[in-house]
This record gives sequence, structure tokens and C-alpha cells, in this order.
Amino acid sequence: MATSVQTLGQTTARAGDRLSAVAIAALLGLGLVFVAGFAPATVLHNAAHDFRHTQNYPCH
Amino acid sequence: MILRLLSAALAAGFLAAVVATGLQLVLTSPLIVAAERYETQASAPSAPGLIQPAHVHLAHDHGHAAPGEAREWQPAPGLQRAAFTGLATLVGAVGYALLLGAVMLAVGREPTPESALGFAVAGFLAVALAPAVGLPPELPGSEAAPLAARQAWWVMTAVSTALGLYLILVRRVAITILGGLVLIVGPHLAGAPEAAETKTALPAGLAAQFAARSLGVSFVTWAVIGLAFGWCWQMFGRERANA
Repeated sequence: MATSVQTLGQTTARAGDRLSAVAIAALLGLGLVFVAGFAPATVLHNAAHDFRHTQNYPCH
Repeated sequence: MILRLLSAALAAGFLAAVVATGLQLVLTSPLIVAAERYETQASAPSAPGLIQPAHVHLAHDHGHAAPGEAREWQPAPGLQRAAFTGLATLVGAVGYALLLGAVMLAVGREPTPESALGFAVAGFLAVALAPAVGLPPELPGSEAAPLAARQAWWVMTAVSTALGLYLILVRRVAITILGGLVLIVGPHLAGAPEAAETKTALPAGLAAQFAARSLGVSFVTWAVIGLAFGWCWQMFGRERANA
């Protein structure tokens, strides 16, 4: 009984751990892709220009 | 788990960026520079064409820059421009690697080089090949529809294709396969913003070569991200287990 409760607790903790890892990585990933591929600031566009063309992001 | 995911994505993104930057500088950047020469000729036919700076891109309207606005910063031709291309590639590749890791964990697949390569190929299909069917990779000077419309269609197609692939390959039930096919085909039935039909001095061969090379570079980028992410995930897991 005690073992199964402990296992359940561990599983829940692991699931929560995984959920937060997924959320952080997804947000961070989307942010980085946005900055590299979509950010409208002219300076960012000019810096990333050749990358955006090559990776087929819509560019200017 | 978050540390393992972040470190694996950082390492995989870095490795992919090194490979992709090398390929870009050899395969696509020279074509972009060549295309900009045609672009300058078109926008300033009377300018004496003696020595042109490599990146004379701001001669045309960027959509968001008011005409007559002071020249904005841009990387100097040569080394600086190559360095910023590398930096942008690094940011983009780490971003893609993070998304790859997030999707694999969310779906509940253990990342190995093989399984991550499979997800990476799906990533290539979703963000490179599917949008390219409607909006082929373009050289400077050949753009047509307004930027916002093309970006919206690009994002919609990428998300829709990714969801479709998930429904078909991960869920694998008749009804989800049907739904997945609808999601993948839908954006193309709706149609991309008008493709370029404007007259341009750009040789068609140059544009075709660029489109093919661009998709090739994207594929290699994704493949390296997948293989490296799976490998790093396993390696960082072993390190933790041994510690």
C-alpha cells in the first residue's frame, strides 16, 4: 500500500515535471523561431536576411 | 528533465547550425547576392553599375519601412554578413530543436537518434516542404503578395500540416487519418497568397536552383537536429544515471 502510494506520487511528480519541461521548451522554441524567422524589426530582418530566404520564411 | 531537454536542444541546435551555416554560405548565399545585383538594376537602372555593395537590399520598399526613412543598420558584406547568417541559423536551429524535444515529450516518445530523426523529418515536412508547395523559396526581388498574408498562410500551413501528421502517424485510427489528410490538404485547397507573376529581370534558372538548394539545406538542417537531439538526449540521460 505504502509502496503504491509512493509510486503514484512519483508518477504524478514525473508527469508534472514533463509537462513543465514541454511548456518551457515549447515557449522558448517558438520565441527563438519567431525572432529568427518572423520578427518584423528591420534590424532583425537585415541580420537574419539570408537565413530567412534560405529556410523559406516569407521575407519582405 | 527540463535541464536534459534544454542541454540536448542547445547541443543539437548548435551542431545543426554549424552544418547548415556551412551549406548556406556555399549553396544559397552566393545566389542571394547574385539576385540582389538584378534587384538593384531593376530599382535603380540609371545608377552607374561599377561597384555595388553586396547587400543593397534597402533600395526597395520593405513594406514596414516608410519610403525615405534613414537607412537602417545592416551587416556589412562579407564576413559580417556571413557571421549574422550563422547567428540567425543558430537561433533558428536551437528553436527548432526545442520544439522537436517538446513535441516528442508531449507525445511520450523516448528520443533516440532513430525516433528523433523520424520526428525531424515530420518537422521538415511541416515547416519547410508544405509551405514551399504554396510559397516557393524566393530570392530577393521576386516577392509578390503582401508579407503579412504570406506569413499568415505559412504559419497556418505549418501548424495544420504538423497536426495532420500527428493525427495520421501517432494516432493512426481511420477517423484521425481522414482528419489528418484534410488538415494537410486544406491550406493548399484554400490557396496560398498569389505566387509571383510580376516581371523580374531575375533569370528563372537562378530562382529554380535557389528553391531546390533551399529545400535541400532545410532537410539537412532538420536531419542533423533530429539525429543530434536523440543522441544528446541519450547521452545526457546516461550521465545523470551515472552521477
